[in-house]
Amino acid sequence: MSVASVPFSFGRLGLIAGNTFLEAVRQKLFLFLVLITLGLVLSVLFLLTFNFGSSELKFIADFGFGALTFFGSALTIATTAQLFFSEIENRTALTLLAKPIWRAEFVFGKFLGVFAVIGVFCALTIGTTIALLMVREGQILAAATDEFEARSLIAYGDLLVVGLLQWLKFGVLTAIVLLIASFSNTNLFTVVTGFFVLVICHLQYLARDQWSNVDNILLSGAVRALSFIFPNFQLFNLADEIGQGSGVSGEVALRVAGYGLVYIAVIGGLAVYSFRNREI
Amino acid sequence: MKFDAAALRPFRTGLVVVLGLFVAGLALRPIEGPAWEEVRAKQPALRLDSLKDALGQGVTVGLLGGFRAIVADFIWIRTNSVWETYDLPKTQTSIKLVTAIDPRPLYFWLNGSRMIAYDMPNWRIDKAGGYDAVPESVKRRFDEEQSSVAIEYLEGGLGFHPEHPLLVLEIGNVHLNRLKDVETASRYYLRASQHPDAPYYAARIYAELLRRQERHAEAYAFLKALYPTLPKDNVMAQAAVVLERIRELEEELSIPEAERFKE
Repeated sequence: MSVASVPFSFGRLGLIAGNTFLEAVRQKLFLFLVLITLGLVLSVLFLLTFNFGSSELKFIADFGFGALTFFGSALTIATTAQLFFSEIENRTALTLLAKPIWRAEFVFGKFLGVFAVIGVFCALTIGTTIALLMVREGQILAAATDEFEARSLIAYGDLLVVGLLQWLKFGVLTAIVLLIASFSNTNLFTVVTGFFVLVICHLQYLARDQWSNVDNILLSGAVRALSFIFPNFQLFNLADEIGQGSGVSGEVALRVAGYGLVYIAVIGGLAVYSFRNREI
Repeated sequence: MKFDAAALRPFRTGLVVVLGLFVAGLALRPIEGPAWEEVRAKQPALRLDSLKDALGQGVTVGLLGGFRAIVADFIWIRTNSVWETYDLPKTQTSIKLVTAIDPRPLYFWLNGSRMIAYDMPNWRIDKAGGYDAVPESVKRRFDEEQSSVAIEYLEGGLGFHPEHPLLVLEIGNVHLNRLKDVETASRYYLRASQHPDAPYYAARIYAELLRRQERHAEAYAFLKALYPTLPKDNVMAQAAVVLERIRELEEELSIPEAERFKE
């Protein structure tokens, strides 16, 4: 039976996603990164001694999101590449794709499995950060009840929104790594390229700034084109806005979420297209 | 030679992928643009000019959105270690690197500028042979040069904290304490005092600086306007001290009893 003769199935996609999720959470890398991230987030209580500038609660929030961004990116790239190539190297992809399974089901199944794992990672990290903030905030308020009149010092809703946006950013990164993996021959190439693309996506706005100062039309055109090719990951970094002025704007959060979701769909679609043209 | 269309397949795939990404980027710009403008306006650290000092310093981790605060804190500790060795170029670079990574805390701007304006002229004098050997004109030049660097640095800080009274006051302090320029210093104290969050002492010092310039009538008028705005129950406002100075000025200006300021 050929693929063309069976309709696209969310059931099969869900099976692949579930299997990918189970495989990922069983990985030592996942457990290692989760433990190291939680350890780092908790260690912020000791690092407070080294804090000179920001307020204590802002420092804890910044640190939590720093750990989320750094280790989340590492986890996303490494897990996506490893899970994709384990199927290729163990020849299970051959067995799987010999059956009437769409390559789109395979790619998006992998995506959803990794996305769910990253979701667990984000939830654990943000949950720990929020718990730490609540404990510390409680201590501060208890020590100075008159001054603060028992009002909350932290916008916990903003923390959750920023956490969700970070998760979406990791979703875009997962789709990018899958796109690279769809034509790459090795796990190592995919991981290294994934990290380079991550840095480019974070710093592409600088190229855009520079482009506005360049007189050479060809060069400025090339830089401008590059800025359209790579998503702007700096857009997802709303953590700096927590506790500032009116906090995180709902409209901005919606726009960023829409931006992330569209990119996941487009890059995921391109990964499917590229994977369909690949000889396994 | 036979043309092998299959050999071109990877190129065609690559081209489609790049074109797809380009079109997506182009189509998403109307969604991204307004959000990016707002995100950027609230995060001055994302400006290219502010990052120039940090690029190439191995601080990418700090710049990628996380750990900015902790990276800046550790570089600040390193700055203090370098400061202890009186290494001027390294200390100055390190100070600027800290605020390039995390321009949010005022602490870095204030203490960094103090190192530049108050400590470094002394290091340069020591290096040039010591206080007895260096002529006054050279000492003055060192003061002026370091003050100029500190003021430029603090003005950079105002780009991130527009009109923050503590930064404006610090520029005034450099003019007053290092350059001995009372007139310019007084202008900065006045500017700082006009900010709603200004510390009470900014206005008091402004009036004192007017007196030091023999502008007693201006100082008197300023303090008379200031006094009613001061909360009498706030020790920081020092309303009694201001009233005392008003009385002193009335004596100095020989204001007739009938025209004197009434509480």
